Parts: sequence; structure tokens; C-alpha cells
Amino acid sequence: MKDGLWLEDVSFKYGDLWVLRETELHVPPGRTLIVTGDNGVGKSTLLYVCAGLLNASGGHVWLDGHLAAAKKPSELMRQGVRRGFLFGQGGLLSNLSALANVTLALRYHADLFGMDDEDLNLRAREALAQLRVGQNDFHALPAHLSLGVRKRVALARALALNPNFVFLDDPDGGLDSATRHLVYERLERFRDDSSITVMVATNSRQLIDRLGIQPMELAHGYLLPEDPNRRSMRA
Amino acid sequence: MRSTLPYDPRSAVFRGTSWVERLGRRTLATLSETGALFGTLKDALASDLSPGAAAKRLVHGIMLTQVMFTGVQALSLVSAIGLLIGASIIIQTNMMMPADGELIGRVLVAVVLRELAPLITAIVVAGRSGTAIATELGNMKVNSEVLALSSLGIDPLRYVVLPRMVGCVVSVVALMIYFSIVSLSAAFAIGILASGASLSSFQQGVAGSVMPHDLALFFAKGLGLGTIVGWLSCHFGLQVKSSPTEVPQQASRAVVMSLLGCVVYNTALTAGFYWLVGPPLPGP
Repeated sequence: MKDGLWLEDVSFKYGDLWVLRETELHVPPGRTLIVTGDNGVGKSTLLYVCAGLLNASGGHVWLDGHLAAAKKPSELMRQGVRRGFLFGQGGLLSNLSALANVTLALRYHADLFGMDDEDLNLRAREALAQLRVGQNDFHALPAHLSLGVRKRVALARALALNPNFVFLDDPDGGLDSATRHLVYERLERFRDDSSITVMVATNSRQLIDRLGIQPMELAHGYLLPEDPNRRSMRA
Repeated sequence: MRSTLPYDPRSAVFRGTSWVERLGRRTLATLSETGALFGTLKDALASDLSPGAAAKRLVHGIMLTQVMFTGVQALSLVSAIGLLIGASIIIQTNMMMPADGELIGRVLVAVVLRELAPLITAIVVAGRSGTAIATELGNMKVNSEVLALSSLGIDPLRYVVLPRMVGCVVSVVALMIYFSIVSLSAAFAIGILASGASLSSFQQGVAGSVMPHDLALFFAKGLGLGTIVGWLSCHFGLQVKSSPTEVPQQASRAVVMSLLGCVVYNTALTAGFYWLVGPPLPGP
């Protein structure tokens, strides 16, 4: 059984540009992987491939023994793979309020989770409260929310699913100090939760230091332990 | 010496692109695009069979919203167009055959019910809702909303494409019926006023021309045209990759292809249908 996140000989390229070349990787359940790399090197793409949102050009990605690039995303959910994904700009559905964004997946899979309307509303409100999203923002559309609130709502959406995989793309990018620390607190809890496999793409030194995990660096299609000299240059 | 050409004619790239190669590449690209186009339709229809009663309920709610946007909100526009088209047909027909209510009724059946109601309704829906759907889906792609749906275990074809397609089909069929009623009523009213023909002669002309198989053709056109508009609008909207500048391009492509598809389908169905069942109008 391929528990956690497995990359088996995985390659990905855009046209002639290699993002990932024949990569083997295993992130065991409950562990956190941080990926750094220069801008445009493909960190976000790597996250998409690992989460099964993009199909690899070659090789296989496994999430808890299930192929990540399932034809239908709901199949993975039914197999018990619950993914929380924080996109760089939040990735909230623009025609739904903050609360409706958080309840959407719960409502879609209500029969799977065994929840009625009341249960899923309660869980969504709890998740939003944990991320300190104000009640006034619950019914606002994403366009009317600041980037910081949008990211917190997106994190709440991931949290509400009770995920066993969390993928975070530049989680503290563009945030003010207070929101950043709130996000860090939440990420520390993800890191310490033995049931959640976490993958973070970032160049934030503060975040890497806070999580205290040796990052891997993505460069020229290869994922290698980060070179401390390059790290100081980037810092 | 530095070449002034934007390419180097001696380069391997230039030498490699013979017309055969270009033709081959274009053929492969067309085949791939056609495959993707029909893949969207097949997968969207098949997604309704996926398990999940809660998902089904949620998607049905979105279908109703889509019918509201595409059908109900288009009523006033379709009323105006139906009225004016009915009026213009009756003016033309009345000039050729004054006071022949029965013949005018038969012409109205042939022109309005069999051809214009399906086609004009589909054109209105493509122009009004097709653009909106393609633009909405394109923006969803740009804002990573479609990827976000996948990450939440929500099938984008089931949540995004299927309800919009079904909404378009239901709306086109309903608007066609509505268009026919408005258009025929306007034609009757103006015909009686302008030519002095009796209402009963109009009714006789219409009733004598409508055949049972017209109903089959009417609904076959409605279902097909609604599917074409919903399907192509969704497909081209989802073809947007990551740049906002692609959104208007794909929206325009969606409408153009929908209109072309509707005209081709309408003509092919009319020709094929009457080739199979024989001419619709009995001799006078």
C-alpha cells in the first residue's frame, strides 16, 4: 500500500520546458514537505501534479494508494482521499459567498459525510471561526473581501473537509503580519497532525523557519535538498 | 550579414516545415480538438450517472437557476422578436395573397413553426446566454476556480457543464413554443386587420398544415439546438488556459461556432426529415 504521497517516475513539461523529470518521491502520512525554487520554476505546477489536478506527462502520482489523476475528482473523495488545496489567490468561487464556498464541497458530498444542512452549516461556521473570519464577511462575495480574508476563507474551506492531504501554494504571500501569523499557527497544527500529509510551495524564509523543516528545492526539473548557499542568496 | 527576415530560411526549423508536415500537424490538431469537443459532451452527459444523491440535488438546483437566466429572463426579448417577425411575415404574405387566410396560415406554419421558431430562439439564446456562459467559465478557468472544484472532489463537468447544457435545452424548447405562440398571434391579429381575412380561415390553414410528424421535428430541433448552444458555449469557455485575454476570444468563438452549428443542424434536420417522411404541405 502506497501510504501518503508517492511520486513514481513522474515527469511534467509545458511544451519543451521541463518542470519535473523522472522524479521519485515519498512523503509518508503525517509528514510535511516544503518546496522552494526560483520564480517560474514550476512550484505551483508541481503542487497541481501532486494533488492530481494536472496529469503528469509520465509516471504516476499516488495518494494513499489511489492514483491522484482519477478521471473524476469525486472518485478520489469516495475512496477516502480528501484534499485541501490553498491556491495562491485563494481560488474561491466568485459567485458564492464566503460561507457558501466553505459549505460547497460538504453539500456536494453530504451523503458521503452523512451530514444534513444544519450539520454542514455548523461545520463551515466553525472552520471560518477558527480562521478568525468575521461574521460580517460570511455572506460577502470573494470580490468584496481582502486577499488576507480570501486566503483565510480558502483555508477554512480546506479545513472543513477534514482533509488527509493539504497542499498550500504560497500560503503567506501578500498577507499582513497578523494574518500571516494566524496562517502560520494553522500550518503548525497541520504539520503536527499525524493524519495529514502536507506539501507547501513557498520561498518565505519566515515560514520555513517557523515550520522548522528542511525544504527541497525545485530547479531544472529536479527536486533536491535545498542548497544552503542558494538559500542565503534568495533570502 | 544580419538577415532582415523574421526567420532564418536556412534554419532546420524552416526547412522542416514542408506543406506536408504543416498539413499533417493541422490535421492532428483538428482531430485532437474534435475529440476534445465530443469528449466534453460525452463526459458531461455521463456525469449525470455518477453516484451521489446530494450532488444530484445540488446540480438540479443549478439547472433551475440556469433556466431562470436563459429562459425566463429572455422572455421579453423573444416576445419582441416573435411579434415583429410574425408581423413582417404577414405583411409580405398579404401583399402576395391578399385575403387568403388559409394560404397565409399554411405559410406561417411552414416559415414560423418549422424554421424560424427553432432557429431564431437558438440564435437569441446563443447570443444572450452562450456568451455569458463562455465568459463565466473562461473567468473561472483564469481564477483557478475549476481546479479548486476538482481539489474539493467536485466534478467540474457535472457541476459546471451539465446544468448549463440542460438549462439551455429546456430554455430553447420552452422559448420555441413561446415564440411560436407570440408570432402566430401577432400574425393572426395583423392579418385580420390588414387583409380582412377571417380568423377561422387562418385557423383552418394552420390546422390543415400541421402534421403529427411536425411535432417530432419541432422537438428534435429544440433538443438539438439547445444542446449545441449549451455544449459549445461550455466547451469553448473551458478552453481558456490562464490568461484573461483569452476569455473574449473564446467567448466570441463559442458564439460563432454555436450559430454555425445551429444553422447546419437546422438545415440538415429539415432536409433529412422531409426526405424521410415526404413533403409536409399537401397540394391546394
